[in-house]
Amino acid sequence: MRKTQKLLHKVADLKIFSPFKAVFETIDGIVYGTPHVTPGAPHFLDHIEIKRFMIFAVVALIPTTVASVYFFGVHVLWMILTSYIVGGIVEVSFALIRKREIEEGFLVTGLIFPLILPPTLPLWAVAIGAFFGIMFGKEIFGGTGRNIFNPALVGRLFITMAFPEIMSARWQVPFVDTITSATPLTLFNAEGTLTGLKELLLGVGLQTGAGSMGEVFRIGIIAGGIFLILAKVTDWKIPIFYLGSVAVFSWILNMVNPQVAPPAFQLLSGGLLFGAFFMATDPVTSPYTRSGKVIFGVMAGILTVLIRSFAGYAEGVMFSIILMNGMTPLIDHMIMENKYRKSAL
Amino acid sequence: MAESKSIKTIMDGIWRDHPVFSMLLGICSALAVSNKVENAIAMGAGVTFVLVATGVIISLLRKIIPRQVRMIVYMITIASFVIIVDRVLKAYFPEISDSIGPYVGLIITNCIIMGRAEGFYVSNNLGQSFLDALSNGFAYTYTLVAVAAVRELLGFGTLLGFQVMPEFMPKWVVMSMAPGAFFVLGTLIWITRTISGQTED
Repeated sequence: MRKTQKLLHKVADLKIFSPFKAVFETIDGIVYGTPHVTPGAPHFLDHIEIKRFMIFAVVALIPTTVASVYFFGVHVLWMILTSYIVGGIVEVSFALIRKREIEEGFLVTGLIFPLILPPTLPLWAVAIGAFFGIMFGKEIFGGTGRNIFNPALVGRLFITMAFPEIMSARWQVPFVDTITSATPLTLFNAEGTLTGLKELLLGVGLQTGAGSMGEVFRIGIIAGGIFLILAKVTDWKIPIFYLGSVAVFSWILNMVNPQVAPPAFQLLSGGLLFGAFFMATDPVTSPYTRSGKVIFGVMAGILTVLIRSFAGYAEGVMFSIILMNGMTPLIDHMIMENKYRKSAL
Repeated sequence: MAESKSIKTIMDGIWRDHPVFSMLLGICSALAVSNKVENAIAMGAGVTFVLVATGVIISLLRKIIPRQVRMIVYMITIASFVIIVDRVLKAYFPEISDSIGPYVGLIITNCIIMGRAEGFYVSNNLGQSFLDALSNGFAYTYTLVAVAAVRELLGFGTLLGFQVMPEFMPKWVVMSMAPGAFFVLGTLIWITRTISGQTED
């Protein structure tokens, strides 16, 4: 055992800190990894566990986070800080009351949540959304691993419904302080104007509001997503089938009815890339069966195109992922049932 | 100390066997009309009136109601009083009547009344039934008013129509819609069950 770790344990054993045992256990876990050794097969060579797993996801989010600070200024940092503080307080207080270890899910949720918000959202709205998402999206179900819906999306859905005027008229043009109510998607729905693909990809040179903070620097999102897939933290099936189904479905609809945006624009606008790589792949709220992942991706893609083209909202990624989160247990159940019946026959 | 039967009836009604918190009865209307405190009070008063009247009538008639048709007797009794409540609201409080509209008629289907009639009034005397009806009605009303107070404060910034929150506070539109009622009522049930130590298997 390393000296620093011994010191940490000594401090943690002090009587004054006994109510905060969970906090120390978490620090211990993040810094030193788990000491547990499996007594029988299967053995894992690397002691990867949920904490390190989550840290990979945070690393993958770094490019798009840095880019959003670069595009929209310091307010972004305050929003991330608010989300972490509020989410952390809820998480830690639940862990202390329920006397169990602090779960690290909020490291990722706390960062993803501000990234899917409009860049000029006031901090109190961020705080309400983070509180609500962690509390009603996660803790009341029993914490990380037991939630049905993605907590960050629950938080965003709540403030979208609670404060519609703030959420729909707060889009900022990158590098400029202009606030507008149009994003590339709303602009297309209203006037049929297509924003250039190069501008969309880099987030530079946009004349309209760009969208949520994290979805603007799309190269960074794609890089982060590929990193997660290569590191085997997420599975490639959900993002690929999600994006593929959006492309195919919008291509068909676009031939029938030109009022539906063409596939390339669909793929590069709105929160689709961010949602596909970072939110739909959440291991807790997406299916664990392989064919289930394919169904999840395809259905989410169809829903996204349908909501974008025919519903009252310009963006459908949030709703489609939340709806599919609700379907996840059903999909897994059907797949397992099917398999067992086949092998029994 | 052994509590008398009347005290037990009252305590069961307003806390231990609280119709909304512990039996989850009548929550459909609790969700629907709790967007403003005045609606909640009107609804609570209406339900209490129907409960008391039904309790009195059923407990008086309990010896002569044939078992086979007792449900129909409850139904007719409840329906008669609900129509009275509906008429009175329409005549004297037309605004409230408009805003809670169909839910007054739906008091007939409120499970609290049917449940208490079948579970209590038909087997207890007049005095006990009266106390039970009053305490259940009170329990339903205070729950409704509590939910409505939270929803009206956040959703409209007002309380009983008076501006309470500062004008610049943004209104939580979600609180005046149905989902808001679910969150507030759910949290309230969570709190009361934690206090009373009641758990479900």
